[in-house]
Amino acid sequence: MFEQQLINGLTLGMIYALIAVGYTMVYGVIQLINFAHGEIFMLAAFLAVTFITVFGLPIYVVIILTMGCCALIGVLLDIFAYRPLRQSPRLAALITAIGMSIFLQNLAMIIWGSRPKPFVQSALPPFLRTTALTVGDASISWLQLFIFGIASLLMIILFLIINKTRVGTAMRALSQNRTSAALMGINVNRVISFTFALGSSMGAVAGIMVAIYYNTLYPTMGYVAGVKAFAAAVLGGIGSVPGAMIGGIVLGIAEALGAGYISSLYRDGIAYAVMIAVIIFRPSGILGKSTVEKV
Amino acid sequence: MADISFKVIKGEILGLIGPNGAGKSTLFNCVSGILKPTGGDMHFLAEDKKIRINGYKPEKMTFLGVARTFQNVRLFSALTVLDNVRIGRHCRTKANFFGAVLRTRSQKEEEQKIVEESMTWLKFVGLDKFAFYTAGGLSYGFQRKLEIARSLATDPTLLLLDEPAAGMNPKETRALVEVIHNVSDLGITVILIEHDMKLVMSICKRLVVLDHGTKIAEGGPKEIRQNPKVIEAYLGRGAADA
Amino acid sequence: MNLTMKHALKYFVLAAALIYPMLSFTNEYVLHVMVLIMVYMVLAMGLNIVPGFCGLLDLGYVGFYGIGAYTAGLLTIHFGLSFWVIIPLAALNGAIWGVLLGAPTLRLTGDYFAIVTFGFSELVVLFLTNEIWLTRGPLGLPGIDPVIIDFSWLSTLINPQWNWYWEFIGPQPYFYLGMFMVAMVYVIMGRMEDSRLGRAWFAIREDSIAASSCGINLLTYKVIGFAISAAIGAVAGAFLARWTMFLSPDMFKFWESFLILCMVVLGGLGNFKGSLVGAAILIALGEVLRIILPALNLPTETRFLAYGLIMVLMMRFKPMGFFPSIATQSQKNPILIKLKKELGSS
Repeated sequence: MFEQQLINGLTLGMIYALIAVGYTMVYGVIQLINFAHGEIFMLAAFLAVTFITVFGLPIYVVIILTMGCCALIGVLLDIFAYRPLRQSPRLAALITAIGMSIFLQNLAMIIWGSRPKPFVQSALPPFLRTTALTVGDASISWLQLFIFGIASLLMIILFLIINKTRVGTAMRALSQNRTSAALMGINVNRVISFTFALGSSMGAVAGIMVAIYYNTLYPTMGYVAGVKAFAAAVLGGIGSVPGAMIGGIVLGIAEALGAGYISSLYRDGIAYAVMIAVIIFRPSGILGKSTVEKV
Repeated sequence: MADISFKVIKGEILGLIGPNGAGKSTLFNCVSGILKPTGGDMHFLAEDKKIRINGYKPEKMTFLGVARTFQNVRLFSALTVLDNVRIGRHCRTKANFFGAVLRTRSQKEEEQKIVEESMTWLKFVGLDKFAFYTAGGLSYGFQRKLEIARSLATDPTLLLLDEPAAGMNPKETRALVEVIHNVSDLGITVILIEHDMKLVMSICKRLVVLDHGTKIAEGGPKEIRQNPKVIEAYLGRGAADA
Repeated sequence: MNLTMKHALKYFVLAAALIYPMLSFTNEYVLHVMVLIMVYMVLAMGLNIVPGFCGLLDLGYVGFYGIGAYTAGLLTIHFGLSFWVIIPLAALNGAIWGVLLGAPTLRLTGDYFAIVTFGFSELVVLFLTNEIWLTRGPLGLPGIDPVIIDFSWLSTLINPQWNWYWEFIGPQPYFYLGMFMVAMVYVIMGRMEDSRLGRAWFAIREDSIAASSCGINLLTYKVIGFAISAAIGAVAGAFLARWTMFLSPDMFKFWESFLILCMVVLGGLGNFKGSLVGAAILIALGEVLRIILPALNLPTETRFLAYGLIMVLMMRFKPMGFFPSIATQSQKNPILIKLKKELGSS
């Protein structure tokens, strides 16, 4: 039982990590909690189903296409909602983020209806649900292996982008000091938009995986997942991408074990409790640095 | 900062000088409670008791009688001039939520007193006519005076002034000198950080010089002016020999 | 419009509002909406303390609203307590939770504090939903008594024929009770703003380092502000419980916190009078949308879409709200009025 919960938690955790990196990267470059990020995760699931049912595209194409669409949505969100408020008080940007989140949730409700839907199982290879390996009493399905594999691959790619490319370096420079970065000739707006695109495409993959794994989609799925992923980002240290990855995995495992052994009713509450505890006792998270204000 | 040791005599006007980055404001931050020193001792004489004040929070230091102004004026810009000074009276008054809501007699009397005392301090610095102006709209020189009035409203025994004359024209500087003398006449001890040497040498009877976080000299204006280490710190090596 | 005309207009509107429920052509639906507006006016004024006076963002205000409502509901159902006893109890419970939540978290920076308050209110909803033994969870809590004024013990002493017992039925009595509640909170807010307490809060909001150098203990005053804000939210919740006579956890979702925050921002942060206007506008807007949208063949859920969009546009074009001035209450202070005259004449 324990091993099974661990495996389930790890799978869940990888998904949270994919969403969490989106939050943490955006917070790193513009110090904004992008409340609408969860909605991009949700839109990805719905867009994927739509692409399969309306256009009959194969699953692999759908994943790439959805990633692209969500990257675009993320960039549009930045350009039209957040960029005009770069110089405004923080509260205005926060309210805008929440407003966009609500807007997108309800837009989805209008387009696709508010009732939960199943994923289009016929588009998936049938062996996914079967067991791939057994470890003691626990079994790992091919689907779980795939999720684990794809998520890991994406994390590695993300890590390489951030640390080995010029854009990635620009992102890191921006998150440390925006003025100096601009003075060094970095096109701030473009780098920020790229950050949104990157985070959104990661979140999109997470959305599709969740829809497949749990076999259900509903317009408010981005809300809870978004909060939990944000909790994971905070746990790992907000602004730190490796932190978000670690935070996601830790939170996923904690949630699975908590739901299994303590109470399944308060499953979502575990994320909230972790978030509150981390913020109170160690706000810089696992990998973050604590900052001191200078007088 | 390391290796700084000096005494401040009650009632004096002590000048704290040194090139930029010497650690003068940092020293003020330690004394006023914004920073906690990692080593050493600071002692303050409050009501005839010598207290070790390392690590005391800013509000506690103000309560004990240490007031300060800031290098970049920190006013409550959206509030009126009078309100700024009234807030300075906070630590010497005590009305709470119930007093505010129930408007008890003692609360009303206290509010009256706060206004009167604040106006007294505004008159002291010459800003009483501006009582209902918005603080942020004042000229720079007046803003600095307001900050001094606010810090005086906390009834300090020690006043730390951090570059009060920065950015002032000669007329404003003369007015400031007069205010500082008046403050000293009230018996309040003043420590003054300044770069305007003429000002410092004319007001202060004693000076302490910092450079790169250490004390390099202490004494009267004349000795400091001639101290080779001080000259070197300000003008560079070789200037002392010139 | 000069000053006396403004005053006359204010009194006229007030008088009209007082008479309205008694007129023969009054619409029960309109009265109902007006009572709803009053509840949100109280909530908006209460929330205004935290971002408006202290400069912090509370994203979990609905948590205190819910705590107050369920405290009132449960005390009524299990102990039959009078509304007038429940109000202070609900306020106290709200304040206690305000202190419990605030003390460890108010020293955090703005974003973190916002997240923690959000998490708290979500936990409150989870608790209300899952602890079925206490709250009946998603089934809701029906059968809460309405507000009752009971002086029958007094009236029978004077004249056994008299029975001073009035149960609040229909929207009219709640209309007047609501106005009373709004007026009380309004007066309290004004008195707090123009006092040593209010000045300390504004100092913290404007420049917290300067505030502490004036002797203000930041954490203590932030906690006090948060607790008072929580207490006011709880009082609004108690009113809600005895008015709608039914409670369920999904009346206290995050959306409510967001809505109330929008009211505060629309009215101007720190301006509690503006919060009244913000509440009226947003609730009225909701009702208007509820009527217009079906006429345009859109489902009523689009209301939220419209709300979201409107808030985004508001932040883009009027981020300071409609009435951005702060700390204007002291202009009414007699001591200061006298002083102003003296200064003017010299």
